[in-house]
Amino acid sequence: MASMPHLLELKEVRREFDGGRIVALQGVSLTIEAGETVAILGPSGSGKSTLLNLVSGLDQPSSGDVRFDGKRIEGRNAWADIRATRIGIIFQNFCLIPTLSAEENVELAMMTQRGGAIQRRKRALALLQHVGLTARAELRPSELSGGERQRVAIARALCNNPDILIADEPTGSLDRKGSVAIMEMLRELHDRTGATLLVVTHDPSVASYCDRHIEIVDGRITRDRAQRRGDARLATTSIG
Amino acid sequence: MHLATLPIRNLAGQPIRSALTILGVAVAIAGFIALTGLTEGAQHSFASGIDEPGGDLVATQRNGYSLLSNSIPQSLEKELSAVDGVDAVSGVLLNITTADDEANVVISGWPPDSFMWPNLHLVAGHVPGASEPWGAVLGETIVEAFGKKLGDTIELQFQPYTIVGIAAFDTVLNQNIAIVPLAGLQELLGREGNVTLFQVRLKRPLDPDKVTAVRARLATAADNFAVTTTSEFSGNLRFFRLMQAIASTVSVIVLATAVLGIANTMLMAVNERIFELGILASIGWRPSRILGLILVEGLAISAIGGILGVGLGLLAMIVASSSRLSAGLLEPYMTSGLGLQALIAVFLAGPLGALYPAWRGTRLLPAEALRRN
Repeated sequence: MASMPHLLELKEVRREFDGGRIVALQGVSLTIEAGETVAILGPSGSGKSTLLNLVSGLDQPSSGDVRFDGKRIEGRNAWADIRATRIGIIFQNFCLIPTLSAEENVELAMMTQRGGAIQRRKRALALLQHVGLTARAELRPSELSGGERQRVAIARALCNNPDILIADEPTGSLDRKGSVAIMEMLRELHDRTGATLLVVTHDPSVASYCDRHIEIVDGRITRDRAQRRGDARLATTSIG
Repeated sequence: MHLATLPIRNLAGQPIRSALTILGVAVAIAGFIALTGLTEGAQHSFASGIDEPGGDLVATQRNGYSLLSNSIPQSLEKELSAVDGVDAVSGVLLNITTADDEANVVISGWPPDSFMWPNLHLVAGHVPGASEPWGAVLGETIVEAFGKKLGDTIELQFQPYTIVGIAAFDTVLNQNIAIVPLAGLQELLGREGNVTLFQVRLKRPLDPDKVTAVRARLATAADNFAVTTTSEFSGNLRFFRLMQAIASTVSVIVLATAVLGIANTMLMAVNERIFELGILASIGWRPSRILGLILVEGLAISAIGGILGVGLGLLAMIVASSSRLSAGLLEPYMTSGLGLQALIAVFLAGPLGALYPAWRGTRLLPAEALRRN
């Protein structure tokens, strides 16, 4: 019986910038299975965001191989299609279109799929309801708080029922209370849907929501270990 | 939310820049419409004006540059009249002159026995008789514009003429015309024995074969002269061809300016929104879809500017044609062909101007674009 392919697989991935003067990743190899919760930890400039960009096809490796679901993905269109259907990305700075409302920002991610405007709007509103933003659906990002913006971004990431949620410093722009809410939400989504969760963070308390921790320093994986959940959960007691 | 929502919001987000670009396109399209329309209008005005008095064919100088400078000996009238199938021939001397030193009008000299006099639709007065060498029949528009009435005097070619008749015409050219006896006008212009053209009326009934045959005979009789239908006549004038060439050249330049304006605006807009394009890529928009979005934005600018431009162009034509300097030669002339050309220009200018910015906007890797926040 053939074994299931890895959801994500990196083989000797190297990423250089500025004509090779900057090396962000130096021959990184790693596999991530479907349903895992993985935190990629490391200090600023260690290469963790570059890694995230590579596994989501937002960037291309200088050398090495990135495979999604066992397949080597060639070309921007192929990666765009995967991001449209199988990957949901959440950014530290939310990455919302400022001229669109919260609901429209969510809808925007569904415009690559079949279906009419009414269906899209219904689904966008349902997702915003799920993240507790029903009353804020018509507001623009500038009218929302940081936590609310991140919840819009989560709703957007969920709109196409992705196999994997990739979050780049999802709590980086939030206060501790907001951070807890967002991480609880992501973990709950994983528990409920079984989607793989890949979180890039430099914060061990954020990483504690994940079961596997990969540490990167200077573009190399220095540690990859299973982690007992709740070891360093975000403390909310310090607020107020 | 639909596909146009984002481009519309983007344009609305930079209202002054969008408005200025739209205005730039509008002025370019207006320039195209006005230049081409007025050129074609002048030609049309001449053709229909020449046609109105009832001639079937026109004999005139071959390859004449401008109608007014054309010269043909009046003596040719006899030879043309003798051609089989010709009913009547009338010499016509045309010029543009100042009326009462105020505005330009077309002055047309007809011989006293011209077959065209009875074709005039007089609303008042009569045609100049043999004893009225300085009598004139004026078009209604010119009479109204100058506040004249029957019996008043109007100075044409520095000669006081008495208004003996007022005629109604369908064409803009003739509404602004002053028709006077030929001999007096020849004397005033120093062109005794010459006319500008001959109007030729053919014997009835008319059929196309007959017209062709008579035309060939006339061409033989009037060797070295051109015998054409009235519509061909204006089209053959080099002056109009030159006008068309100038109008086309200037139109191409103004349209190119519009394309560059759109390109500049879109380039700025794309540069400012590289990050947004990165967001779209990150949520699974293909480069072609993002490219389409930018092209739609360019098209929207172009379409709004185009609609405004057509309106402005029509307005410019109306203003130009109502000018007292136009001598009734200019008329607002908007054809479906001209509209179609403007439409094509509009639908090409927008996407063409947006193409390079769009390409630039999509060639970046999404991660690179997202770093431009």
